This record gives sequence, structure tokens and C-alpha cells, in this order.
Amino acid sequence: MSQAPKQKSTAQSNPLFALGKERLELIGKHADALMQGYLDGHINESVFSQQALQKLLESRVLDYPDEQTLSLRPIVNELIASLTQDERKRQINSDVGEHLDQIHTRVQSLQAARQKGDYAASEHHLQLLTERVNDMTGQFGDAIESLWHRLNTEFGFVSSLDDKILEIELAQRQLRRILDGFGIINFDDLIQLAGSDGSLRKLLVSQLQARISEHSGSLLEVQKRLVLLMSRFRQQQDKALLINRMSAFLRQHPNFQVGDYPNRSQVPTVVNQAHGISAQAFIALDRAQDSYALAELARAVPREPEQDAKSERKTEGFTMALQNLVATQQKQLAKDVEDFFIQVIESPQALSGVDYLAEQELPWEPEMWLFQIVAEYQGLPEQNKQSFMLEKDSAQKSRFNQLHIIQDVTVGMRFFGDFQAAG
Amino acid sequence: MIENGPLLERLLEGEYICSVTDEHSFHKLQNDELVDDLNHFLRPLNRRVAKNDDGSVYFLAYCDLNQNARQHLSQQFTSTVQSLLPMLEWMQLVQEALGRDGALSLGDTIKLQDFESKVVDNQSLIQRLAHLANDKVFKSSSDKPDMQIKQVFKRIKELGYLHQPHKDRLFFIVTGKVEQLIELVRFIKDEENLPIDDEIPEQEVMF
Repeated sequence: MSQAPKQKSTAQSNPLFALGKERLELIGKHADALMQGYLDGHINESVFSQQALQKLLESRVLDYPDEQTLSLRPIVNELIASLTQDERKRQINSDVGEHLDQIHTRVQSLQAARQKGDYAASEHHLQLLTERVNDMTGQFGDAIESLWHRLNTEFGFVSSLDDKILEIELAQRQLRRILDGFGIINFDDLIQLAGSDGSLRKLLVSQLQARISEHSGSLLEVQKRLVLLMSRFRQQQDKALLINRMSAFLRQHPNFQVGDYPNRSQVPTVVNQAHGISAQAFIALDRAQDSYALAELARAVPREPEQDAKSERKTEGFTMALQNLVATQQKQLAKDVEDFFIQVIESPQALSGVDYLAEQELPWEPEMWLFQIVAEYQGLPEQNKQSFMLEKDSAQKSRFNQLHIIQDVTVGMRFFGDFQAAG
Repeated sequence: MIENGPLLERLLEGEYICSVTDEHSFHKLQNDELVDDLNHFLRPLNRRVAKNDDGSVYFLAYCDLNQNARQHLSQQFTSTVQSLLPMLEWMQLVQEALGRDGALSLGDTIKLQDFESKVVDNQSLIQRLAHLANDKVFKSSSDKPDMQIKQVFKRIKELGYLHQPHKDRLFFIVTGKVEQLIELVRFIKDEENLPIDDEIPEQEVMF
């Protein structure tokens, strides 16, 4: 792991604190150029001033792997990859042996310091040891997290299925290495190493064991999912190939005849698909208990204007009959009025509507009758209207308003009137 | 059994039930006991619940392959075979237009707008679309790509290979019936010993 940026220190007075802070800030200051370099794979020297370049090189952020190319140091690359979960570049470091060696050394130093009674030194060694153990489990954690992340995005960082399959194979090898790493950790050794020291036992045995078993469980799940994903990708590839080849074949052989599978003695299951039947049901009134529900349904049927006309025709009930009746009466009334006008034409003098009504013993109410005569007169074509003379015999109903009530109308032929006047 | 009425009805109507068309019913059908109950009910109708090889889609099959059943199967099979090439070409077209290298599978989503913008950008895709739309399966009379696309997708939806979750949104999900179609293609290839060599290596044994 990185020395400069990652070194932790609680004491701000520690010289490392200032240096580390300075370097992290340096990275932040040049973030744009460094990220550009991360994505391009090499750094464009010209974007930095000579001084800044020198500083970045000294701070171990950049280096020249060969004389021409300037690039990010691998550890910085890895830092960015890990911070951004960039799976294309994220590395998995599962070198457990190295960690275990260092743990052994630390424990020995710690025990030596304790024997000497050097409290400060043993405290320091314990801190380093704790960090070392955390580093190791943290590394596993990171690796597993990276695997999960790749799985959950279905290796979306590469586009083609071929690449995805290669990535899965890579992930499977990484997973295998992590499992191998777990295998190297020998808890019997660690128990012996910790001896009777409670804090060491907790650190090296119980905590570590819990973490490792948690990681193992997670890894098993990853393993299962990788296998599933791999078979899915392969199936997809396989299907795409099948589709391409079959369609090419069918295009080349337009007269290709497929076997008559449905009429073989053994019908293949893949063609056995029953045709659809739709079960229809209708309104039935033969069960008394349903009548209420059906009535509810009938009431709930939304009525649209055009449906109204239809449903009335269907339910030829009393409304219709009433309407018919009114229509017939209306016709009769119109016909009687017509007869009245004919009578007027034939009569030598003007006729009173009310008198005619009484004479003929017609069943109409005088008001309705008079109204119809006036309506008929108004409805005549202008030319014909001029042939008739209509006089309304009306009286003001009350002095306080302009309401006139027509009590009678007298209709006569105009020429007759004119003639009469002339005579 | 009452609560399964709607499911039975859909099956009887010839629907394919998969995780896309009806996830709830699909999960119910994974219960063997329920399938036994349904089969008991379906027996007099000469039907049983069937599923495809990988269990991704359920539908009804005939129990007894009598004359009547065979006649229906023949009709259906003939029409499936007739629409086979257009369907395969459609799948290729979508796959290529959307830049995928795997076959269209159950659950894949297709936004019509995306597809259309990819197709109209590419003269050869436009031609292939026009050729496809003219096929008697799709029967598009338009010479405009957007209308052709709408018609083709409409037909494929009618055939049950696509599901449209929102009526007013042109967004489709591939149904399990596509998987069934692929199985049929594979079956035909094997059964007729078609000389389309499978160069894909056997699935490697992992671990």
C-alpha cells in the first residue's frame, strides 16, 4: 500500500502529518490534469509548469516508467480506481503471505518490548500490528466489494459479451486467489502466537476469524452468481448465433420444408401449445338470488346520449307510449286547425276561433286551440299569410303590466275584407 | 381455486405467462401443487399447464393429442413456421440497431424511439426494416420508417412476443414467448440436422 498518502497518524505533531497533508493537497490541486492522465493512460507534460512537475515527481505522484512517457504512479492509479469503483482498472491484491510475515514480526517485536517493560514501545507495536491486521482484512473486503460491484453492474464497464466473459473468467481467478489466501491463514499458528495475551487473542484470533468467515460467505455467493452470469452470457451468445445462422439458412433455402411435427406419433413438446378458448357468459335471470346484483349492474351501466335512443327503443315502455300519444294528439290538433282555415276560406265572412271550436265540439282547450291557430298563421309562407287577416281579441290583464290575454282570434280572407271595404 | 380463476382464464385464452407479462401469476405457477390443481380442472378441456425448457414461460398444452388437437397444432405450427424468418430477422435487426451482441431475451427492454433513431441513421438498417415491414406477417403499406416500425412492433405485440406496460408509451419488454420460439428454432435445427454448424464450444465446466 501507499506510504505517503495513506499513512495514518493521530498526532498532528508527527512530521508525517504535515507531509501527507501537503501531498494530498498537491493531488487535489492538480486534480484535473491527473484525472485526464488517469483516463488517457499517460500525462501531458506541457500542462504543468516546470516547478509543479518537479514537485509531483518528488511527491511520488508521477513518474517516468520509460524516458518518454510521463504517467501516474501505479499506486495513484489504484487509489483513483478504488475511489471511483472503476472496475476496468481496479486491482485486487490478495497477497496474504506478506501480511502474515509482517504480523509475525510485529508480534515478536511487541513481545520483546513487553518483556523489557517498555510500555511506550509495546503500545506503538500494538498499534502497527492492529493496522496491519486491518489492512489485510480491509484488502479482502475491498476485493470482495469490487467483485460484487462488477457482478451487480453485470460487468457493464465492457460492452461486448466476449469481453464480459473474459472479465468473468478474470474475476473467477481473483476469487480463487482470495480463497487461497484464506487458506494460508492458519489459525492454530495465530493462537499459539497470541499465547495468553487477551488483546492479541482478540485481535489475531476472534476478530480475524469472524471477518474471514464473513468474507468466505460473501465469496461463496459471488462464486455462485458468477457461474450463473457466465452461463447466461454464454446462452445469449449462443442464441444470437443460432438466430443468425438459422435466418441465413432460411434465406438461402426459401423452399425448406419443416417436418410435420404435429402429426407425428410422438408430438414434440415444443410444438404442443393449445389454442385459446374464450369462456363467455351472459346474463341469466333463472336464479332469484342474482336478480339484485344484475339490477345493480344494469343501473350502473353508463348511459351515453346515443345509447339512450337505442335503449328506449329496446325497452318500449310507457314513456314511449306517452310520447306517441302526445305526437298523435299534436297531429290531430294541427289537422283540426287546418280544417278551420279551410272553413275560413270557404266562409264568406271572418270566423271566430272560439265560436268554431264550440260549433264543431272539438275537444281542445280554448287556450291551446287559439295558440295553435296563431302558430299556424305565423307558420304560413309570407305570400299566403297576406291572403288571411287575423285579428286578436285581447284585453289587458291588469293595469300594472303589459300583459294582454288573447280571448279570441278572428280569421278572415283579406281580399274579402278589402272587397267588403271597397263595397 | 376461486382466486385462481382469472389466471386460469388467461391461460385458457392462450396467453403465455412469464415474469414480464404477469410476475405474480408466474410465481404462483412455480408451485407444483397449484399446477396439479389447475391440471385437474383443465383435464376435461384436454389441456394441461406446460412450461418451456428453462421454466421461464407457462402456457397450456393438449393432454391428449387427438385428431382435433393435432389439427389445431398443425395450423398453429404452420403459421409459426411461416413467421419464423421474419421474426428472426426482426430479432437480428433490433439486436444490431441497439448495438447488442447477445440475442434478445426475456426481460430486455426496447424503447421505440431509441430503436427508430438508430435505424434512420443507417441506410442498410432502413432497407432491412422496409423489407421486413413488407413481409406478409407485418403487412405495412407505409414507406416511412417510423410507420413501419410502429406496425412491426404492433404485430409482434399481438403475437405475444412483446409486452407493453403502458398503453400510451412506446416502450416494450420482451416476453418469455421469445424463449419458446428460440427453443423451437433449436429443435428444428437438431431435428432436421440442418448444416448450420455449432461452433460454439460446449459450455465450459467451471470450477
